[in-house]
Amino acid sequence: MTRYAELCAATNFSFLRGASHPEELAVAASQLGLAGLGICDRNSLAGIVRTHLAAKEAGLRYAPGCRLVFSDGTPDVLAWPRDRTAHGRLTRLLTLGNRRAPKGQCHLALDDLREWGEGLELGVIPPAQPTASKTPIRETLRALAGTFPEAVRLIATMPHGPDDRRRLAGLAHMAGEAGVPLMASNDVLYHAPHRRRLQDVLTCIREHVTLHDAGRRLEANAERHLKGPADMARLFRAHPEAIDETLRLLERLTFSLDDLAYEYPDEPVEGFADPQAALEHFTEEGAKFRYPDGVPDKVRAAIRYELNLIRELQYAPYFLTVFDIVRFARSRGILCQGRGSAANSAVCFCLGITEVDPTRADLLFERFISPERREPPDIDVDFEHERREEVIQYIYARYSRERAGLAATVITYRARSALREVGKAFGLSQDAVAALAGTIWGSSKSGTQEAALRAGLDPKEHTLSQVLELSRAIAGFPRHLSQHVGGFVITRGRLDELAPVQNAAMPGRTVIEWDKDDLDALGIMKIDVLALGMLSAISKALEMLQRHYARQLTIATIPAEERPVYDMLCRADSVGVFQVESRAQMTMLPRLRPREFYDLVIEVAIVRPGPIQGDMVHPYLRRRQGLEEVSYPKEELRAVLHKTLGVPLFQEQAMRIAIVAAGFTPSEADRLRRAMATFRRVGTIGTFQAKMIEGMAANGYERDFAERCFRQIEGFGEYGFPESHAASFALLVYASSWLKCFYPDAFCAAILNAQPMGFYAPAQLVRDAREHGVEIRPVDINHSGWDNDLEAREGEAPAPPLHANHRAMTGISCATHAVRLGLRQVKGLKQGEMEQLTAARGRGYDSIRDLWLRTGLSRATIERLADADAFRSIGLDRREALWAARALAGGGMGGKTGAKADLLPLFDVESLGDLSREPDADLPPMPMGEQVVNDYRYLRMSLKAHPVSFVRTHLHRARVRPNAELVATPSGRNVCVAGLVLIRQRPGTAKGVIFMTLEDETGIANIIVWPKVFEKFRAVVLGARFVQVRGTLQSAEGVIHLVAHDLRDVSDLLQVLSSDAGNMDATARGDEVKHPVEDFRQKPRPDARVRTLMGDTRGREPAPRDQAPAAVMPKGRNFH
Amino acid sequence: MEEAKGALRIAALDAAAARRGLCVGEPLADARARVPDLVAHDADPQADAALLEHIADWCDRYTPLVALDAPDGLLLDITGCAHLFSGNKSDDGERALLDDLVPRLRAQGFAVRAGLADTPGAAWAVARFGGRPGLQGAIRIPPRETREALLPLPLSALRLEADTVAALDRVGLKRIADIADRPRAPLAGRFGPDLITRLDQAMGFAEEPISPRLPVAQLSVERRLAEPIAREEDVREALRHLASLLARRLETAGLGARALEFTLFRVDGAVRRLVVGTGAPLRSPARVLSLFAEKLCKAGDELDAGFGFDLLRLSVLESQRDDGTQISMDEEAAQADELAHLIDRLGARLGLRAVTRFLPCDTHMPEHRSASVPAALAREDALFWIAETTGGAGPTRPLRLLDRAEPVETVAGVPDGPPLRFRWRRAFYEIARSEGPERLAAQWWTRGADAPTRDYFRVEDTAGRRFWLYREGLYERETAAPRWYLHGLFA
Repeated sequence: MTRYAELCAATNFSFLRGASHPEELAVAASQLGLAGLGICDRNSLAGIVRTHLAAKEAGLRYAPGCRLVFSDGTPDVLAWPRDRTAHGRLTRLLTLGNRRAPKGQCHLALDDLREWGEGLELGVIPPAQPTASKTPIRETLRALAGTFPEAVRLIATMPHGPDDRRRLAGLAHMAGEAGVPLMASNDVLYHAPHRRRLQDVLTCIREHVTLHDAGRRLEANAERHLKGPADMARLFRAHPEAIDETLRLLERLTFSLDDLAYEYPDEPVEGFADPQAALEHFTEEGAKFRYPDGVPDKVRAAIRYELNLIRELQYAPYFLTVFDIVRFARSRGILCQGRGSAANSAVCFCLGITEVDPTRADLLFERFISPERREPPDIDVDFEHERREEVIQYIYARYSRERAGLAATVITYRARSALREVGKAFGLSQDAVAALAGTIWGSSKSGTQEAALRAGLDPKEHTLSQVLELSRAIAGFPRHLSQHVGGFVITRGRLDELAPVQNAAMPGRTVIEWDKDDLDALGIMKIDVLALGMLSAISKALEMLQRHYARQLTIATIPAEERPVYDMLCRADSVGVFQVESRAQMTMLPRLRPREFYDLVIEVAIVRPGPIQGDMVHPYLRRRQGLEEVSYPKEELRAVLHKTLGVPLFQEQAMRIAIVAAGFTPSEADRLRRAMATFRRVGTIGTFQAKMIEGMAANGYERDFAERCFRQIEGFGEYGFPESHAASFALLVYASSWLKCFYPDAFCAAILNAQPMGFYAPAQLVRDAREHGVEIRPVDINHSGWDNDLEAREGEAPAPPLHANHRAMTGISCATHAVRLGLRQVKGLKQGEMEQLTAARGRGYDSIRDLWLRTGLSRATIERLADADAFRSIGLDRREALWAARALAGGGMGGKTGAKADLLPLFDVESLGDLSREPDADLPPMPMGEQVVNDYRYLRMSLKAHPVSFVRTHLHRARVRPNAELVATPSGRNVCVAGLVLIRQRPGTAKGVIFMTLEDETGIANIIVWPKVFEKFRAVVLGARFVQVRGTLQSAEGVIHLVAHDLRDVSDLLQVLSSDAGNMDATARGDEVKHPVEDFRQKPRPDARVRTLMGDTRGREPAPRDQAPAAVMPKGRNFH
Repeated sequence: MEEAKGALRIAALDAAAARRGLCVGEPLADARARVPDLVAHDADPQADAALLEHIADWCDRYTPLVALDAPDGLLLDITGCAHLFSGNKSDDGERALLDDLVPRLRAQGFAVRAGLADTPGAAWAVARFGGRPGLQGAIRIPPRETREALLPLPLSALRLEADTVAALDRVGLKRIADIADRPRAPLAGRFGPDLITRLDQAMGFAEEPISPRLPVAQLSVERRLAEPIAREEDVREALRHLASLLARRLETAGLGARALEFTLFRVDGAVRRLVVGTGAPLRSPARVLSLFAEKLCKAGDELDAGFGFDLLRLSVLESQRDDGTQISMDEEAAQADELAHLIDRLGARLGLRAVTRFLPCDTHMPEHRSASVPAALAREDALFWIAETTGGAGPTRPLRLLDRAEPVETVAGVPDGPPLRFRWRRAFYEIARSEGPERLAAQWWTRGADAPTRDYFRVEDTAGRRFWLYREGLYERETAAPRWYLHGLFA
């Protein structure tokens, strides 16, 4: 039996060249009975970890390598590291090439290889066309063999070209001359012949051509697949030594990725013997600070237990690293919070990494660094989103770029992008491609067939069926590497000897080639330095409390467990609150009725794919409401499930069940989790599924429960959500709720300043604040700063009353200030210019000219301020201000150049006639409707009125009810409502149901659109901004929904907002009568054919659509 | 639809689409989501422009002063023309003209809105903004009633920049009536002098010349004859003269003609046009003459000089850079020149499409490696044949490729061994040497995509004859019984 190892295979990490996933190659290699597999991607090691794992799973000998592609004309050289040191040299070589090239490219020259090639096994691979490389093979061979004797070989392939045998003989001769061995390879691009089509399409995408035009840029045949030993032996029967050479080389390659033992960065702390001593010291100090009245025994015990574990596993440096970063952030006043499995430990609380008091939440510690798995601890730290960059640059500065870098994120083809690219390769018209891609909602993987049908295309038609089939295959292919949002890898030695480092798109960032799953799999520590908008908002709110209310608070010292906060959440009064503000969460709150901190932890975790797919939500709610008894599937699960009433909700619990109930070993459970997360393609899930369900059944569990548990784990694969994350999030839920409850004014201003974030647009946040009795004051040149801020309201009119819905809040709010909207709310203003404006304000501006002369702002900017109606304090309304602003430049539309350039024409005009002596402008006053439209246009909100209020009489006549009446309407009644579309949501877990949120002047209506209704009213659901819905009311437990039967786009009703246009239509018609205009409409009677041909639409052009009031209204945010 | 602001957007739509709520400028993807059965075509501004030109040509019948108002309008100056359409009362004449024009255009399948007024500005305004939305037909503003007719119209009817209209709208000035009587200095100071100009033009307080469409020929020379000519010899002689004039003009411009038009205006107003295209940039008068000679003699009787031609014009419709060639000593270059001339001459007589030559095509499939295309369209630089040889292996493609591969019977080894002997057209051939297989897989994306893979062999028989054979279908992977074909013969 012949043995053969394929040592040169490209994965799809050779972007747009390789046409198979690493896992597919590994599985195929093992099935073909290859002695080993070597991966050589183009100037990249991005695919080697995945192959490593898959090869391990398949029991296949595996040699990571790289195909070096040079920019100096040298033919490609394959390189495989012999050992760990050589791997380090290879990664440094690639880093060198990456860092000197723009992102995504690698510039290497032969001399670089000669400098860094020590310890690498090399193979020179002749190009397919002899003319393709400038430097002759012979020369490269000689140069390399001279530098690295014994390490070089010549690669021969049999591509089934016109002269394979001649070519092979030539290569053998050349190898003999150079004194190097000949080695066989198939220069593999895909694992099986059927992937040729995919590879052809990838080539087309890469070359920006269609299949039809690609010609000989495509491979002539399907031969570049993995071939078995027998096939290869037959092809190379003239030179069997080339086959043997593959085995000889494989023997020499002893390097395995398992050798990349990770070393924690040194954290030398002065004055301590070792990191452990330092950690214990800081923990002790922190504990004293946290518990000034003495550390509770329970916490004391936890600290002792954790410190022992840390000592045993030698994790102290890791904790010190995180501690250092957090300490830096605090020294700069940057709010931060840790989360993750290790974060919610007593040690981390004492170190200030997290604010979750271990006495406050009784957390499961099972997943806290488990000794048997030796997995590195996992701590993510969230920072205020506006200031995270400071932290990142601190890390670079402290550890240097040689030791710190961001992890990569693999950007893959999604259904839509795949369809677009494949369609283009097939030469489909742009329109057809757009039609296909456009009908996919979000990133759903399925539904392309239906999409095609909807677009009027026949999915069974030959080309189209191929497009659909191939785009399905391409979906999930890596497309390029991007930077992870904040996953830092820090090493003791050089980072670039661990993995290749490359430039990120963002200047000042460097990224390593592996993503977080790769790092996780290799046991390499990473710290997630993440940005969180809510932390910015909380930080800003706390700062306002200090400034305006003289209350000094931190997240940790916000009074805990206050009843009114929970009361508020039980009423689903959570607009703006962290995490629990979404539609789904709002419907959950009144059912779950959180009463204590741990309830918030559950609240945060329960509306996730895991529990929903596992069908665990309703059982939990029933038990919580006391409708069902708390029981355990088996007594052994009591310990795992007692805190969640016997229903598994968290990822840790699902994994524990696999261990306790299905007999998985901890490391098997871990592989199961990973298989769900990343390696869905390989097909090992089936075996896990069988093992888990059968295992549980064998242990006496009900099959249904077992299946639900497995589905839940599948759900976690999409979006893992462990309890420790939920606990940290829950703390922010509480903090933001507390602020909203007691200081709605500061909460509103702070959250507006932290935009964009969260679920709601500024208009809803402002509206919510007003309904909670906060006075909101408009943007004004004499009062507003750049940011939204609070203003004292001494001796002024009483604050606006609480909205009926929030009457329960009477007397609870401590807010005494009004919110002054900041200039940042105005679209298109620049922060720098507005700071100029506030700086030069002094005692205030008394006219537009005064403002203009003192600030030096351009006319365009001042016009923008006028558009935003910001001159009321000097007695000018919008139109008057605009009229005055237009005069500044002295003419034309060219006045956008800035005040300096405009000075001369201004004085010209002045010398001609004093501006103040201009005749009175006497502009028509702007009707209220138009004011509101303009408010929306320039501020995205209006404090004056709600747009829907202008059409209320009309709606009333059409028997459309205000949303506020829904509360008092009995369930099951058919009703009709109308409103602006705020949000459309189609959660992946809801089987195509769409949730819409409508807003009118009285409140919100929640609409449910079933898929059938959606199909019928697709255009309205997706396109309308103002919509009228008829449906059946469903209300239960304080949750009110309208199940839609019928939807209508009524955006045109909003036309009345520009009501003087309406008036003018009347006058126009009047004039027509007054003045004899001849109308030939009736005279010529075009015959039927002509009539069909004459599709005139231009007619009298109505106001351009983007000027129409409806177009100014928010489009509605779409969530998936 | 067209590409604008980074997305495919609707550029124009028909009444049905408008009724479904679509609008110009909307991204196609949004439109599709709302109207899935939307039928969309790429916008073709050039075709639109050409169509507008055609209509303008046609409008020549009403007045020589036709101006384009792209993308979708025409301005006709009918001063002094209207009376031609009826009696002497100019009032009726205008109506008669509209009565004639609008139905005729409609009958051709166009949607028409016409405005007729004292000033181009007012006519433009009522044509686009007068009457009710969706109106088709014509509106005429009687003389001296321009002002009243304009007042109710929106400001965009004044042909202002969209920015200016928007700025006026924001201060509450929306209709022409809103500004007509306003003090002008403040308006001009704020919205630019253009606003006042446009207002005055529409009202008739300021002159506005319309610029009639000019012939678009890049270069043209013409000869007016005091005494009309009718004999063919005279026409030729005049043409020769024009051609040499033109040659000088072309040379100065460094251009060569690729398409020429010879226009003959008959005394009675009829016009004959002869157009020729060339295969290479051309300016030699003799060649020009010989090209038209073919046409003239073909047109022969149709030319019909009638009472004779009084104006002859030779225009260059299309040209190409031609910096003149040095007189070449090179045989090949001279031949290429001859060839180009031959193609031109054959083309002039037979039609340029009828003269073809081979072009190489970039594909793996041997039978599709070349295509025949009109010779005049082939650019020299596209004729680039890749050498089908490999180092030392001789030609890999046969000199003669059979039009259709012919089945042969063979004996060959499996799975991919070379043939040992074969029978073709009833003769047996014993193979002495062979090389291959060269494997070519089907072009799977085309129709008939499941065509099997071919393994080509270059073989030489015992008599030294060399053939190109292929096995169709990979043994086992695609078929159990592969078939063999002979596809070509080496020299």
